[in-house]
Amino acid sequence: MLRYYLRLSLKSLRRTPGLTALMVCAIALGIAACIVTLTVYHAMSGNPIWWKNNVLYAVTMDSWGADEPHDPQHPTLAPPQLTYTDATALLRSSIPQRKAIMTQMDGMLSGAPGQTVPMQALTRATTKDFFAMFDVPFEYGGAWGGNDLDALPEIVLGKRANDTLFGGTDSVGRTILWNNNRFRVVGVLRDWQPLPRFYDVVDGAFEPPEDAYVPFSWITTLRSVPSGNMDCHTSVAISNYQQLLGSECVWIEMWAQLPSAARRERFRAYVDSYWAAQRRAGRFPRPLNNHLTNVSQWLQVNGVVSSDSRILLRVAFAFLAVCLLNTVGILLTKFLRGAPIVGVRRALGASRRQIFLQHLVEVAVVSIAGGVLGLALGAAGLVGVRAIYAQDSAYGLLAHFDPLGVAWALALAALSTLAAGFYPAWSIGRLPPAGYLRGR
Amino acid sequence: MTLNLRPLLSSLLRSRTGAILVALQITIALAVMVNAVWIVSQRIADIEQPTGIDDDHMFVVAIAGLGSGFDLSSALAQDLAYLRGLPGVVAATATESAPLTGDGQGTQLFLQPGQRGRSAALGVIQTDTQGLRTLGVSLIAGRNFRPNEIQPFSKHSLEQSVPEIIVSRALAQALFPESDALGKVVYDGAGRPMTIIGVTHDFMGPVGLGNPKYQTALYPKTPGEYGAYFLLVRTVPGRLDVLMQTAERHIGASNLDRVIFFAHPLQFYHQRMIAENRNMAIFLSAITAMILAVTCLGIFGLATYNVSARTRQIGTRRAVGARRRDIIAYFMVENAFILCAGVLAGCALALATGYWLSVRYDLPRLDLYYLVGGVLFLWIVGELAAWQPARRAASVAPSVATRTV
Repeated sequence: MLRYYLRLSLKSLRRTPGLTALMVCAIALGIAACIVTLTVYHAMSGNPIWWKNNVLYAVTMDSWGADEPHDPQHPTLAPPQLTYTDATALLRSSIPQRKAIMTQMDGMLSGAPGQTVPMQALTRATTKDFFAMFDVPFEYGGAWGGNDLDALPEIVLGKRANDTLFGGTDSVGRTILWNNNRFRVVGVLRDWQPLPRFYDVVDGAFEPPEDAYVPFSWITTLRSVPSGNMDCHTSVAISNYQQLLGSECVWIEMWAQLPSAARRERFRAYVDSYWAAQRRAGRFPRPLNNHLTNVSQWLQVNGVVSSDSRILLRVAFAFLAVCLLNTVGILLTKFLRGAPIVGVRRALGASRRQIFLQHLVEVAVVSIAGGVLGLALGAAGLVGVRAIYAQDSAYGLLAHFDPLGVAWALALAALSTLAAGFYPAWSIGRLPPAGYLRGR
Repeated sequence: MTLNLRPLLSSLLRSRTGAILVALQITIALAVMVNAVWIVSQRIADIEQPTGIDDDHMFVVAIAGLGSGFDLSSALAQDLAYLRGLPGVVAATATESAPLTGDGQGTQLFLQPGQRGRSAALGVIQTDTQGLRTLGVSLIAGRNFRPNEIQPFSKHSLEQSVPEIIVSRALAQALFPESDALGKVVYDGAGRPMTIIGVTHDFMGPVGLGNPKYQTALYPKTPGEYGAYFLLVRTVPGRLDVLMQTAERHIGASNLDRVIFFAHPLQFYHQRMIAENRNMAIFLSAITAMILAVTCLGIFGLATYNVSARTRQIGTRRAVGARRRDIIAYFMVENAFILCAGVLAGCALALATGYWLSVRYDLPRLDLYYLVGGVLFLWIVGELAAWQPARRAASVAPSVATRTV
């Protein structure tokens, strides 16, 4: 039966090639626009560590000055980073299962065998739990051990750095110079790039991955100044490194792994009591405003998805709606034009259900053709997007054709056109046959 | 010409589904088009803002002295002497905070010490006496820095203050809206005084640091407090690429205690700065154009169907005396009814969307002239789309009525 319906629908579609082409193109354009905007949106809004969404929490504390909130446009938020004093104090808590503080550094790697010119290496200074907490995959070796604030001079290399300096071989145990200081390689990462880079959205959510990871305690030992964002509100001028560490400037991100609600509450209480003690000592002029924020909320409150891509996504769906309305109109017209034939078929014994199904098959043919063409157009559109975004390396990463996006788009195509075609097929199935037979 | 609207309306109401579908398309198309054109016009205005600096002929080299043996003062002096000696280089300076790159320092200045009085947010560019020349910025009042005013770099003193500064006109006006800023004293967050010795025309310094684009100040200061610095170089036209490569090669090889992070023409950053607005404008225009095209096809399709479905009726009307132009008018007025319904609903949707966008995304409120323009435009385009089917209806011969179909 289905094959018969299929033959009938192909015949009917061939009878009006212009209208058929119009419908297929309208659907395809609508789908393509949605694919392109969905892919960009999806890449921006994706949660790269969704399986730990309710386990990992960004720790923030309102240490800002009395006059105005850190972000006057979002007065309820605490600064997204902590001061050195607070970060190192909170790091001492044993309540979180894992915890890490981190900041971004400029780095230079040299001293590898055969290396003549130093290699620029974007570096993250962090503590050892960083790797286990964020499920960072190692190619060789692993994280450094020891105490968080008293680690050995050990370094973890990113894949790019290991490929450049050691030709991709196992470099664990070798010595390398980081900013002219000797570090022992203890681990080499696999290709790892969470998008967006949720753990440090302040310094850029779409930045390339780090080339090197060093223990946090070493940057203070070496008196290295961080290269990431640093916000200060104090009226005291900073004239040396010790003053920087003791200042009210915020420049450190902190994350904690808190798998249960009980642990979360205990840690929250710990943070609040630390805050209260510091306030008694004369710090923190602002009201209590500490937060533990999970990954998806963190991405949201920090505005990682640009409002432009949200607007574009909605415009694309408006466009798809127009395309579908158009298709419904054309299908209705087309089916009604064929009403006399339907009348004959009904008179010869076809049931309403059969008429409905026959027309639904025709709708399905149109929708599949539109979906396939839409996918092709969408892929072409993404190539175009990549060209447009080419200047911005951060966005170049976005326009890859991810399978989930394709699945979404296909489902969208099938569902929306079938939904759109349902009404015309239903209304033609409902027509009383007699009226159309009489005129013959 | 009189037109009897009764039969027109009754036939429209009898086959209303198609008309409603087209009206809905018009509604959405109008709402999207009006708001999209409004947003795009703002983005274009933003893109076209002049930088005020000679960014076409400038490049920037980002350097970090990370080795323990790195001597910043001598490296800087060597770099600047080398760059300034290259034929084709107009001027060069060193800073911690480069214009347009998004990488730099923002701060606040106050009229009174202790963070009191009127204040203004600004981007800071550290420079020596060649700063103005390198940027291609001219003074409108006051004077340039003198060599003895440039604060030397001191390894043990982060965030030094400077006694004299040069400010952009926008910053001068933000701090002193009523009077002349030249010679006035302002204070940094730590309460240290600074005298304004010069005012320049408006230019973009470091951007995206919480400061309005044109509020910039030059500090007479040697960079290096935070280890990394930028070399800013302005060249004669046509020599930028060659000079940038030469400089990058020389600087990279001259001192192994440091690394070059990147060397880019400043245009690269200008393009990147406007990229978001430009991409939004491109995408919005493209999708809006497609919505309009599909909507017009919908109008055209409905009119074509109506004409072909009513061929006998048209023939009959022609046979009993209707002129060609009456037939055309009939279909155009019918189309106008649909347009009218769609446009009315579209106005409401456009206003609602505009309001929602302004609340949700902090966009400026929709200008009503855009709505009026959008309605007129869509009306004209909508009537044009129905014109060809209406003409075809007029060419139906009266004899059709007498034939059996």
